[in-house]
Amino acid sequence: MARSWETMQEFEAFLNEGGLVEANDDMPDPYRQAVFTFIEMHANSELMGGLTERDWIPKTPGLRHKMAVLAKTQDEIGHGHLLYMVAADLGIKTRTQMLEDLFAGRSRFHNVFHYRAVTWGDQVAIAFLVDAAALLSQQAVFKNCSYGPYKRILRRIIAEEGFHMRLGEDRMMRIAEGTPRQRQMFQESLNRWFWPALQLFGPDSKPDDVLLRWHIKSERNEVLRDRWVQKFVPMLTGYGFTVPASELRWDDETRRWDVGPIDWAPLERTLAQGGPDSTRRIAEAADNWQRTAWVRAALSDGSDTASNGVDHASHMAAAAPV
Amino acid sequence: MNVYEVFLKKDGREEFRHVGAIEAATEDLALVLARESYARRAEGDLLWVVRRNHVISAEEDFVAPNADKPHRHHDGAAVASRRKAARESSSHKVAESADEVTH
Repeated sequence: MARSWETMQEFEAFLNEGGLVEANDDMPDPYRQAVFTFIEMHANSELMGGLTERDWIPKTPGLRHKMAVLAKTQDEIGHGHLLYMVAADLGIKTRTQMLEDLFAGRSRFHNVFHYRAVTWGDQVAIAFLVDAAALLSQQAVFKNCSYGPYKRILRRIIAEEGFHMRLGEDRMMRIAEGTPRQRQMFQESLNRWFWPALQLFGPDSKPDDVLLRWHIKSERNEVLRDRWVQKFVPMLTGYGFTVPASELRWDDETRRWDVGPIDWAPLERTLAQGGPDSTRRIAEAADNWQRTAWVRAALSDGSDTASNGVDHASHMAAAAPV
Repeated sequence: MNVYEVFLKKDGREEFRHVGAIEAATEDLALVLARESYARRAEGDLLWVVRRNHVISAEEDFVAPNADKPHRHHDGAAVASRRKAARESSSHKVAESADEVTH
């Protein structure tokens, strides 16, 4: 173990001074568990999102967009791959255990992947609204994240998610400039996806949220959510779409958009794997895992997964040079 | 299966940099997976993978003593102040020639 801290107070002082924790540090168990759970959920979400994206490769209109969706699917699965690696290095679960938990419905993934995308308009709404929401949260985590390996892997994930968000905006603009039927399709998708995308940020952060206290996250949920609202409400209305919030209003005093009260029950249902499409999604992902066993067998040497915590070859004794 | 640490280099500009890790059964597959995971958009043009258990690592207690070696540095302040003193106390010509020597 590289570094250790006598007490939680010492560890928190280290974090408050901007200290970065590394995989082989002897970090306090509650911190290890909190950062692991956070990264595991992120990894699961990338995988579940990538599988949805994959479903749309054959149905994406036009060769150029089809190729872009193919690349995006590879990106998302790749992000899952990298994040499972970072999570496994914390030594709590192996990648295989994480995947088994995901397919058995024992671990979480983002609320938006508990819904079904039924039209191309839905895919555009997801790429435009949901990818942007995910990117906003990831940027806020990246800015000050105290866990070094996660912070570094987020840098490249954010760069790639930036491509996805611009792709989503490109598609949204094409639909906005399209036929009345296309605009109608996108409005219906907006009606389905606006609230799940907004709920991705979660309810207001609790004052004692350890993710904030330990600098795993650096911004409160409500701050990020508001940033998204202020960006997307004017953009959607600017393109002539209706934001599906009956109490939406512009506050002249604060100069901000207010979407009104938020019903958190749908989010809570997804967290309990009880969303509208949770059962099918999880079963489909598990089935995919079974059907692709031959690929893993071809790429494997038969031995079990090696990443179960970081363990470098040797630690040299301290002999002071002059 | 083995874990490989992945390093990328932008030719001619940077040092090899550690970018992350991947898990693979063979060295060839490690290179393929590293390329497909870390160099998807020309993030580098040279690639190393190193088995994690082949990395010989030293930690802070080993490296730290070198952080306290002032005699290995020279920030130029002492030279500058002496030069300044020389300029002020002697003729213009002497100070100028001293400058030429140090440059």
